[in-house]
Amino acid sequence: MPQRFPYVEVDPILGSASALPYAPITLQLGDRKVQASGLIDSGSTLNVLPFDIGLQLGAVWDEQSVPVRLGGNLAESEARGLVLLGQIEGFAPVRLAFAWSQSNRIPVILGQTNFFLEFDVRFCGSQMFFEIAPRSSLGA
Amino acid sequence: MTLAELLPALHGLPKCEKLRAIQVLAADVAREDGEMLVPSEAAYPVWSPFDAFDGAATLMRLLKDEKAA
Repeated sequence: MPQRFPYVEVDPILGSASALPYAPITLQLGDRKVQASGLIDSGSTLNVLPFDIGLQLGAVWDEQSVPVRLGGNLAESEARGLVLLGQIEGFAPVRLAFAWSQSNRIPVILGQTNFFLEFDVRFCGSQMFFEIAPRSSLGA
Repeated sequence: MTLAELLPALHGLPKCEKLRAIQVLAADVAREDGEMLVPSEAAYPVWSPFDAFDGAATLMRLLKDEKAA
């Protein structure tokens, strides 16, 4: 069964004009866990992790050896690959690879590689909710 | 309350709150008209990495390598 989440109004004054699909997700590295709110971003080619959340998980920047090149505004910040466990409540944890950015001006971004390869997502923006299910469990 | 009564209060707002008032009113009008009004000179940074295909390929390799290890 898919889990249903409401769109989150980022700015209460702007209301629905600022509503975005943020999902609660537990990120884990080793035995450390962080509760985060991830932007379900179908327009992002990859997952992106803000710097501080990586630090909270105990990741060490100098130990990450895989550089990841980001475009757009994020190109100014260096990023390195980091594999975490990610769990949406009600589903089994899955391995999620992140571009761990040195920027903190972004939310946790859950993009095509590889969040959308692990989960099927149904956006119902006109009704202000979206649904997430493990891959291949939503009907066509 | 009329516009004439509101204007003195609006003029007394700090700059950032004036801009917020403009945004709120523009969003109201857009909703009423059913269309988006975009200020022509506004700049909106786009943080979503929509074209980081090399980065995505790197992450896929990282996942594969970690699984194999």
